[in-house]
Amino acid sequence: MRQFWIFARKEWKEQLRGFKIIWVPLVFIFFGALEPLTYHFMPQILDSVGNLPEGAEFQLPDMTGTDVIMSLTGQYQMIGTLVLVLAFMATMSGERKSGTGTLLYVRPISYASYFSSKWFTAAILGIVSVWLGYGMSMTYIVQLYDVYPGAGELIKFLLSYGVWVLFVITLAVAASAVLPTGGAAGAALGVLFIGQIVDGMIGEYWTWTPWRLPEYSLLYLNAGPESGEFWGALAVTVLLIVLLAVIGTAMAGRNSSRAKV
Amino acid sequence: MTVLEVSNLTKRFDGVAAVEDISFSLTEHTATALIGPNGSGKTTTMSMLAGLLRPTSGKVRFEGTGGDPRATIGFLPQYPSFFPWMTAIEYLEMAAGLSGMPQRDLRAECEKTLGFVGLASSVRKRIGGFSGGMKQRLGLAQAIIHGPSLLLLDEPVSALDPAGRREVMDMLKELGETTTILYSTHILNDAEEMTDQLLFLRKGKLIEHGALEDVRRKYGGNGFRIRFTDEGSALRFAEGCPWTAQREDSDVRIPAEAASMEAILQFAAGHAGGIRSIGKDTVRLEEIFLKVVGQP
Repeated sequence: MRQFWIFARKEWKEQLRGFKIIWVPLVFIFFGALEPLTYHFMPQILDSVGNLPEGAEFQLPDMTGTDVIMSLTGQYQMIGTLVLVLAFMATMSGERKSGTGTLLYVRPISYASYFSSKWFTAAILGIVSVWLGYGMSMTYIVQLYDVYPGAGELIKFLLSYGVWVLFVITLAVAASAVLPTGGAAGAALGVLFIGQIVDGMIGEYWTWTPWRLPEYSLLYLNAGPESGEFWGALAVTVLLIVLLAVIGTAMAGRNSSRAKV
Repeated sequence: MTVLEVSNLTKRFDGVAAVEDISFSLTEHTATALIGPNGSGKTTTMSMLAGLLRPTSGKVRFEGTGGDPRATIGFLPQYPSFFPWMTAIEYLEMAAGLSGMPQRDLRAECEKTLGFVGLASSVRKRIGGFSGGMKQRLGLAQAIIHGPSLLLLDEPVSALDPAGRREVMDMLKELGETTTILYSTHILNDAEEMTDQLLFLRKGKLIEHGALEDVRRKYGGNGFRIRFTDEGSALRFAEGCPWTAQREDSDVRIPAEAASMEAILQFAAGHAGGIRSIGKDTVRLEEIFLKVVGQP
């Protein structure tokens, strides 16, 4: 356990001094702010951009705060996933490649604490960043929109969507344990995006997958998801997270021999 | 007491043997030099001993450790890589903690070790700004911080300037009093200075090993060498003396069993023309190296 905290402190400092602790939240906060502003000021934006023929009129949908959150979630599913994978894809493969890992692996370390400390610190940074993004979005939504989700619904949404974010981060960290950096990024993004495409096609029949989780989470903003499907998907996701952690731990140990000496 | 026993150690990468069937053992508190040309398998051997690489076959046995052998080993790679955003003291504290040193007095212990390796003035500086020599010193510090009983050092002084080399060799000698050291080097002057045992590697095979003196004797050391200012004087001396003398350029070598120092000095007193020095003929390690490595 002591090793876990030593490693976690090291990861924390690395995030701090590498400015990861700044830019990851900033990306989410930026998109979180942009989304409600864009929809609210869309008529003015279209006006000022100007290239519209005289007399053209658009029937813009009446957006509620909930709609904005759903739209923002769509953004996070693409850009957010990309950012999280890019932020953590090198967490272990980079240490093997640069050789900084070598001097860790020759010590009597447990790879469980090595993996879990990276996973833990990445998860905190990632999940808090996403939540900050939604928080930013809500501050604008409350001011600019008449209808928006209540605190209770929002918290349920943030908690369940956080499990999806945890899944993304676990996949990135585990991929980094298994593969070199480039391969890790490719594998993690491949699995996540292909999963999303497959989910888009047959998701209605395939209800217990991590890829359903964002959608079920969003339903908490309205009537709430169908509870059997939600808990099923949640259970499968948690199971996959544990499985990835086990694989990642084992592979971090096996791949220690690939560290540059 | 044997600290480490290596038997029939072999490592193949994709079928190609990097280290082949080497066996040796290390005795407590001795220094062993692993010598060989580039690509002879020194680093591969070190990596296996440090537990980084799994041997293809053969065994590495550590004496007297029930638990994780990595706890009692200190390892310094040839080019140690550190986290550039850490300070020296942060790094060392992390390393010491990971090796299970108690938290009490950890900082003081780390500062002491940084002082020992000559980094006292850089304790709180970021490693990113360190020179190669400073990194090497920090590398040594992290290898010794947990008081290992066995030190594995891969080319510990190659990256240093002559003054730094001198200092680090002195540190190693001091450490050698309480620690078993195995180090690889191609700077043979250094090996000559601090070694109880020599291991010569070539193409992954252990082609010669033994105590420095034994190896020296085997490769024609131990006689006398008389140096002359010119070849003519050397030639005259070699032909005039009553022993089987060998002339090499402007040197004359006389085997140990042929004459005693007294006899040579007596003879030289009457034939002093052109003599520059008379002394024991110690074959330099470099010559042995070239002979051993050059063997078919």
